[in-house]
Amino acid sequence: MKDRVKKVISQVFGVPTEAIADDASPDTLEEWDSVTHLNLVLALEEEFGISLTDEQIVELLSCEIIVATVEESLG
Amino acid sequence: MEQLSYAEIQEQLRSASLESLPRLGISVLRNATVEPIEPYLCYLAWRAGLRAEVRFGRYDNILQDATDPSSELWEGSADAVLVFARLEELCPDLCYRFPALDADDVRAEIERVRGFAAATLRALRGHSRAAVLWHGFETPAHPAFGIHDSQSDAGQLRAVRDLNDALRQTLRDDGDAYFVDLDLGLARVGAERFYDPRTWHIGRAPYSREGLREIAEEDFKYVRALRGQAKKCLVLDCDNVLWGGVVGEDGLEGIQLAPDYPGSPYYEFQREARALYERGVILALCSKNNEDDVWQVFREHPHMILSEEHIAAARVNWDDKATNLTRIAKDLNIGLDSLVFVDDSEFEVGLVRETLPEVEVIHLPKAHAVRARELLASCGWFDTLTLSEEDRQRGRMYKAEARRRELETTTDLATYLRSLEMRACIRLVDGATVPRVAQLTQRTNQFNLTTRRYSEADIVRLEDASDSDVLYVRLADRFGDYGIVGAAILRHGVERPDRSEIDTLLLSCRVIGRGVEDAFLSACLELARQRGAASVCGRYAPTRKNRLVRDFYPERGFAMESDEGEETIYAFDLSERIPLPPDHLEGATLDARESAA
Repeated sequence: MKDRVKKVISQVFGVPTEAIADDASPDTLEEWDSVTHLNLVLALEEEFGISLTDEQIVELLSCEIIVATVEESLG
Repeated sequence: MEQLSYAEIQEQLRSASLESLPRLGISVLRNATVEPIEPYLCYLAWRAGLRAEVRFGRYDNILQDATDPSSELWEGSADAVLVFARLEELCPDLCYRFPALDADDVRAEIERVRGFAAATLRALRGHSRAAVLWHGFETPAHPAFGIHDSQSDAGQLRAVRDLNDALRQTLRDDGDAYFVDLDLGLARVGAERFYDPRTWHIGRAPYSREGLREIAEEDFKYVRALRGQAKKCLVLDCDNVLWGGVVGEDGLEGIQLAPDYPGSPYYEFQREARALYERGVILALCSKNNEDDVWQVFREHPHMILSEEHIAAARVNWDDKATNLTRIAKDLNIGLDSLVFVDDSEFEVGLVRETLPEVEVIHLPKAHAVRARELLASCGWFDTLTLSEEDRQRGRMYKAEARRRELETTTDLATYLRSLEMRACIRLVDGATVPRVAQLTQRTNQFNLTTRRYSEADIVRLEDASDSDVLYVRLADRFGDYGIVGAAILRHGVERPDRSEIDTLLLSCRVIGRGVEDAFLSACLELARQRGAASVCGRYAPTRKNRLVRDFYPERGFAMESDEGEETIYAFDLSERIPLPPDHLEGATLDARESAA
């Protein structure tokens, strides 16, 4: 799961998967800003076939949180 | 834009070599967050042979950015300016407080918007000649006065129509500014899918991924038209495109084409093609068929919407479609990049995409025939910004021109065939395969040398007998498994003790032209040799349907022995080397263990 999430992050931001730490966040990744965040959300929803709520979207601010949220959404 | 995911599009773009492509500068003026549209724009640009460079103006600074020639929006010059001016920011009153406004308020707001658009265009023209694509206001899904709104001349729906009319007029006055109708995309996917209220509230991004994809596709219809990249010619396959079924198999009466189901999807598709013709699109045919069968349908079928006079060029034969498309382009004296090719077969679609990437291809899978009309109507490849009387006559003109031409060409068919990773499997028939083999002998008309029909019991008897063999060939490629596509029956020592005869040799017309026929024939010859034959004879018994295989044996090293009466008899001397199966077919020899049994 973590690898799939990292792959999406890497595709959206155009950075190698290896450069994405487990605790990667908008603070550590230059490419991750409020606008590219929306792109990331869209890509995650597509990749995992899930639909996130607005509250989840605004809280998806690290790789770890994304993994946990995606797992929760998938049940 | 195929169904690529958002991440896949971004990844494809990163791995594409864009540097060498001409730049397409796109500057976006907006009062909403629309940044996620960028990958779609870049992807569509790439498909059009361009490298898009997209720049976004500041949020809700449309007029300011248009006015400021030193803004980085205009660095390197823009070829297209996209304007997203949404009502929510531009006229919140019209949007949210409509019931509180009186008629004068509404009129004043509309005039304000007209003035805003005119001022923006004037400011832009101070420093830029870019084409302007201004996105119109969307019809509200839930108008302010509810059902009364639809009856009223003073409702919100009417106000939005008036706003759009005012905007359209203003844009027309500019000469190089165009109204992009967002209601079209909205109608196609529905408000539920066009908008994303989550991203609207979080980041003022109103449109969903799907909405942005629709908008980008609509925008690129303009970009292509502005760059003169509109396509000119629609090249149509026949079977399962213009009608349901295979005319060579089902006959004139058996094909599906009628105003009602199950012929109606094809009937409607033809109406759409005819409408394109009336609009100036050239029509051509590219079909693997007997030419006479196809023209018979055109002349005699009661429900044909298209007739011969609409077809400017036709290549109806058994050559590969890439070759035929090249010939059609030559016939019409237009570039391959002016063609849009429609076919139901994954094989043909793949062949053309791979060998002639400049040809646009619309794949109409038979299972989705009901969507065929929409697929053609939605493509936008033929869209132009103007339509002259000459355009409307074009189909007729090209028909005359085409009569004067002839041609030849080559394509790298071998490379394509190799890339299909085809796997053949040739076996002796067994209990499980008897029904399909019998069915093939009963149904196959075109690639069938003798057209002898056999029942399941006949096939079992032939297989059990010591002096005959029944073989089948199965084919799979990277797109999937085609199942059993061919059958052959050998009889040994009938006429002479040291001769085998090919009683039956047939192949489903879906797979001809890929070398399966050669491999299958080689396997038959090899088996005859194992059975002790010194020569093999084969016959061609002509029917109205099987002209395709008239020269099958002589083209493969068989010598004619007699040509008396109805049939032509050929023989192959087994002291000659048996041709090897084509190297792009894996496993195309008869399993030795089995044939020894």
